[in-house]
Amino acid sequence: MPNMQTSLEDLIGIEHSKLGFFQELRHKLEEIKRSNQELEDQRREILAILDGITDLMMVLSEDLRIISVNHVFREMIPDPEPEGKYCYTIFRGEDHPCPECPAFRSLSSNSVCRATAIFKLSDRNMRFDMVASPLKNPDWPQHRVLIFKRDVTLEKEYQAKFYQAEKMATIGVLAAGVAHEVNNPLAAVVGFAEGIKRRLPQLERTIDGELYGDLKEYTDTILKECLRCRDIVKTLLTFSRHAPASLSLVALNSVVSDTLRLLQHELSKRSGIQIKMELEESLPVIKGNEAQLKQVVLNLLTNALDAIKDSGCITVRTFLERGARLCLEIRDTGCGIPPEHLDKLFEPFFTTKPVGKGIGIGLSTCYNIVHDHGGSIQVSSNSGQGSSFTVVLPLSEECALEESL
Amino acid sequence: MDTSKFAIPEIIFGHGAIKHVAQCALRLGARRVLVVSDHGLERAGWVEKLFDILAYDGLEWVYFNDVSQNPRDYQVHNGAEIYLEEKADVVIALGGGSPLDMAKGIATIAGNGGRIDDYEGANRIMRPLPPMIFVPSTAGSGSDISQFCIITDMQRQVKMSIISRSLVPNISIIDPDLLLTKPPELVVSSAIDALSHAIESYVSKLASPFTENQALNAIKIIITHLEPAVETRSVHHLEQLSIASTWAGMSFSNASLGAVHALAHSLGGVSDIPHGLVHPILLPAVMRYNMPECLEKMATIGNIILGPCIRSRQDLAAMGIDQLGEFFKSFGVPVHMREIAPDDSKLEHICRMALQDACMLTNPRDADWKDLLGICLEAW
Repeated sequence: MPNMQTSLEDLIGIEHSKLGFFQELRHKLEEIKRSNQELEDQRREILAILDGITDLMMVLSEDLRIISVNHVFREMIPDPEPEGKYCYTIFRGEDHPCPECPAFRSLSSNSVCRATAIFKLSDRNMRFDMVASPLKNPDWPQHRVLIFKRDVTLEKEYQAKFYQAEKMATIGVLAAGVAHEVNNPLAAVVGFAEGIKRRLPQLERTIDGELYGDLKEYTDTILKECLRCRDIVKTLLTFSRHAPASLSLVALNSVVSDTLRLLQHELSKRSGIQIKMELEESLPVIKGNEAQLKQVVLNLLTNALDAIKDSGCITVRTFLERGARLCLEIRDTGCGIPPEHLDKLFEPFFTTKPVGKGIGIGLSTCYNIVHDHGGSIQVSSNSGQGSSFTVVLPLSEECALEESL
Repeated sequence: MDTSKFAIPEIIFGHGAIKHVAQCALRLGARRVLVVSDHGLERAGWVEKLFDILAYDGLEWVYFNDVSQNPRDYQVHNGAEIYLEEKADVVIALGGGSPLDMAKGIATIAGNGGRIDDYEGANRIMRPLPPMIFVPSTAGSGSDISQFCIITDMQRQVKMSIISRSLVPNISIIDPDLLLTKPPELVVSSAIDALSHAIESYVSKLASPFTENQALNAIKIIITHLEPAVETRSVHHLEQLSIASTWAGMSFSNASLGAVHALAHSLGGVSDIPHGLVHPILLPAVMRYNMPECLEKMATIGNIILGPCIRSRQDLAAMGIDQLGEFFKSFGVPVHMREIAPDDSKLEHICRMALQDACMLTNPRDADWKDLLGICLEAW
């Protein structure tokens, strides 16, 4: 029995009053405040997580209208108000969805779908990996789809460069082997040809003068061609040699002017060609192998000369890029390089010159030398308008340090 | 008791006061009210009238009328379920003690949850109740004023007393016009109920100057006006009974009651006897038992009943009680317990149960179950 302890004091109930809802309301308010605070904290946390996502993100309606976007989108896309516009209008400037779009697949299959595509954004071709996830909520009038776009332009570039380097290294090893194998028989051929040449005078009186003349010419040709072979083999061996060349402090500008002097003879023969020098003064010195760098400059200049038929202009420019890299640009107004050749330029034995004029080893040698110096060669070309080769070399650490001071 | 307390609801009194019920409900924040009443009030047309008033002020309502003459626990639970399901926000009760106590029970469960017997005893209600507006129709129960609520526990066969200041309604609208449609028996039994409230609370251990005045006034008015009210059914006399009942309510809500009510609750738990019938039988016997402890007060009561006369205190008290018995008889109500109780086999059980009733606490003279049995046998 619950009421056994009731007392007279209980009946008076001094400390008991008719309970009102005020306190109840206060409790409720506090509860709501607390849960509101919790929700707010959660919201901030989710917001922070979303802000931490470095991929471009957007939520689209079923017909690909943008519902919301994240900060990466706003940084990447200049449109101040993308909401309500169609995704394909913004990314492609089209009036219909792109055929490869993963959003439709994702919605129809109710699963996460991926695709890769190239978009031209602010005049730059950018490669994106796209992930589409369906967002379905029975309370929404129609389904939505969440799209992530990850900029993989650089990644793909690096991947291509890595692939190229790998290939070059393999070919280098291959070339070295071949060169080595050819060297010994070549030495024998040269030796015997010289032997013949030494003995020829003894024959001069005994055989017909015409025959003697032929034999002498053949022997000379054999020797000349053998020497050419030896040069090729030597170049191949240089190309493949990975032993570090001796390094010294090198001034890029003097490398350029020395090399030009070597070409003076060739240039004097071609009066239609104008050489423009734009050398930036007081460039920092770099650590490198002067002879090898001269070879690079020579090669590039020779190529430029070859690209120009009758008359044109070659611009040689040196400059400091972003304070940490030294650049040498050799630009010609020659025939240019067709786009399909751009990828193969640096491969050994790739050449467009007629047989006998080049064996396609120059640029690949340049590539290796520059690569060994920790730098890179960039090419841009417009067919029929000319090409530009830029050698980018890193400053040695001390130089970079001085520069930054 | 050094400290006393006096608490009553807002009281709106007057002919036609029922018309204020909707405005009162709106003030308490009502949009959809639960109306509790019973068939008697429906037949008299008052329920319809109440709906009209609510509709006039654009209030929605849900109606609950499953009310026995002694409200039962399961009915309370059903009502609370309806209140919550229908998303009601204010409770309006129209009727005698039963619908009013039913409304209190429903409000208790609606605001606190659980079962109604969880709140048996004093001050066990810990959370606020929905606002309550009561329109009493009997001038007797006092439930529209009091902090008491009596509900029958069907399993234990006991009328539970639930006591809490939270059970005092927010507003009591007392409209004497409602008495005009009451049958004479009901006018009499309600008035005797009110008289019993007044007398028991007057001699209660918790009586204070704030309750004694109300109690004496109530006794005086009922003794004076009951007979003419029954005979003439004049508005004036019925209104006086209304006032007396309210005064008695004010008194007993704060001073509590005594052995008559303890026994009545116990008896009502065992057999479903109308509450009003018990008082004319038990009141004189209990008064006689209590007289030694509160002779002065009994004499004062006797003086009121007997009218101006010069007697000793003892005589005034004793003769007053006798006269009260005669007064009851004159209305033709049962004055012997044998007339209403099935048999005397359960008397001991009834008396033992009554000892546990909260009303026994304030009875001026202590009593054990044998004392109570003695009272019952005297009234047999």
